[in-house]
Amino acid sequence: MSHTSSPLPLLELRQISRQFGGLQALSEVSFQVEEGEIFGLIGPNGAGKTTLFNLLSGVTPASSGTIHWKGKPMQGLSPDRRNRLGLARTFQNLRLFSGLSVLENVLVALHRQPQGNTLDALLNTPHFQRLQSELCERALQLLEELGLADQAHRQAAGLAYGDRRRLEIARALATGPSLLLLDEPAAGMNPREKELLCELLAQLRQRHQLTLVVIEHHVPLLMQLCQRLAVLDFGRLIALGTPEQIQGDPRVIEAYLGSS
Amino acid sequence: MIDNGLLVQMILGALLGLSVYLPMAAGQLSLATPAFYAVGGTLAALVSTQGGAQSPISLWSVLGEMLLAAGLTAGLALLVGLPVLRLRGIYLAIATIALVEIVRVAILNLPFTGGAAGIFGIPQPFQQPFGYVLFSGALLAVCGWLFQRLEASRLGRSMAAIRDDELASRCMGIHTTRVKLTAFVASAVLAGVTGVIAAHYLNTWNARQGSFDVAITTLAFVILGGSRSWLGPVIGGLLLTALPELLRPVGDLRLVLFGLVILLGPVFFPQGLITPPLLERLGRWKQ
Repeated sequence: MSHTSSPLPLLELRQISRQFGGLQALSEVSFQVEEGEIFGLIGPNGAGKTTLFNLLSGVTPASSGTIHWKGKPMQGLSPDRRNRLGLARTFQNLRLFSGLSVLENVLVALHRQPQGNTLDALLNTPHFQRLQSELCERALQLLEELGLADQAHRQAAGLAYGDRRRLEIARALATGPSLLLLDEPAAGMNPREKELLCELLAQLRQRHQLTLVVIEHHVPLLMQLCQRLAVLDFGRLIALGTPEQIQGDPRVIEAYLGSS
Repeated sequence: MIDNGLLVQMILGALLGLSVYLPMAAGQLSLATPAFYAVGGTLAALVSTQGGAQSPISLWSVLGEMLLAAGLTAGLALLVGLPVLRLRGIYLAIATIALVEIVRVAILNLPFTGGAAGIFGIPQPFQQPFGYVLFSGALLAVCGWLFQRLEASRLGRSMAAIRDDELASRCMGIHTTRVKLTAFVASAVLAGVTGVIAAHYLNTWNARQGSFDVAITTLAFVILGGSRSWLGPVIGGLLLTALPELLRPVGDLRLVLFGLVILLGPVFFPQGLITPPLLERLGRWKQ
């Protein structure tokens, strides 16, 4: 294994298609995501954005086409395997562990951190206690980064909407990803919160050496945040490029505003 | 009113409640507990009557049988769990009911398990029921401590996460199949070990010990007691085992009353008797 700057993209989609019965949710979508970039995914409702995230995270299999992770095909890998490879996601419709506390939501996801085996845990050995306090420290640190530290011991279900969205990000970050898929992280936030989130994501990318793929309906936010954007419409990739290129693309304007 | 004999049965009920609770704590509705309970009991009955009925038996051989039962039920649970745990919700429940039936019919028809009459004269390691109270009580205490520790461990947290949202758990890198299987195997081992004690205590063992009825009764322990903490099934198991005996003075009405309790329990205590807010209040009260 050489660690020279490899020409391989972090993520590569080749001719990805997905049907649901008669519905063509995605058809022959191909693009690459380079290490370290912030990549935006936009498109009207029902364009197939979330389906694409489900395919990438292994929640649903592709009907055809392949996805490559650092040059290796990911076909048939379960969501938990993909997560351990370094691919984490959040959910558009928030899927927190609502019965657990905010802190526990993050603790559960810290699987890269040594936690001691079950026997250590049952016997409550000093070794286990030390690992536990390190674990809590790490979790609190992540919560601190996302501005949730003061709510660590509340139940996740009781959080305000914007806080729940940020907890989803904290939980995904806890899995130690190199690629983070964010499904509408700013949904339901006011403009001020959106702006703060934008800054936060840029910071997180720096600090955690992340590559980000972001689905967002609020296009100005993405234009500001992303280096490159892909536009989906009815399951097809209709444009791919820098924010400037996308803004001027007639097909994108047509998809959003309809043709005259 | 509660003599030592009833106390033993109550403790065994609590242990079986914990066995049903384990997969449920990982979001799996498994009713397989009676199957493993029957396997443990049958194993103890067969092994301990090798030297003839009512031959003297030491506590050490009972412990040996428990170890043997643990191994056998763990192996069986691994074998059955891998395919069965792919099912969800009510489908898993139905598959595990089928397992209970398979084990029951097998024990009924195997040439060496005594048919419908079962196996008699299982030797007693204790002369008095009080010995069984201490022995099963010690096991329950150890279990309570282990369950308490489990909640603080990675495995316990993963189980709670899977119960809340299995898909999200998988996307957070939790090895859900392994966690669910671990809970299922642990549940089987607990039921098997409980079966060993029950066989010696009851002195006789037959296929009816692990019937579908037991699956429903033990499930009621968890539902009435509460499925959010290990204390729930313990309380549920103790109370619901004692109730029919305590109601004995009312004669034939007692089964009706018992049914009413099971029916009305969920109406008045939808989350069971032991709920997280209650535990929190108790914790605060202790300080």
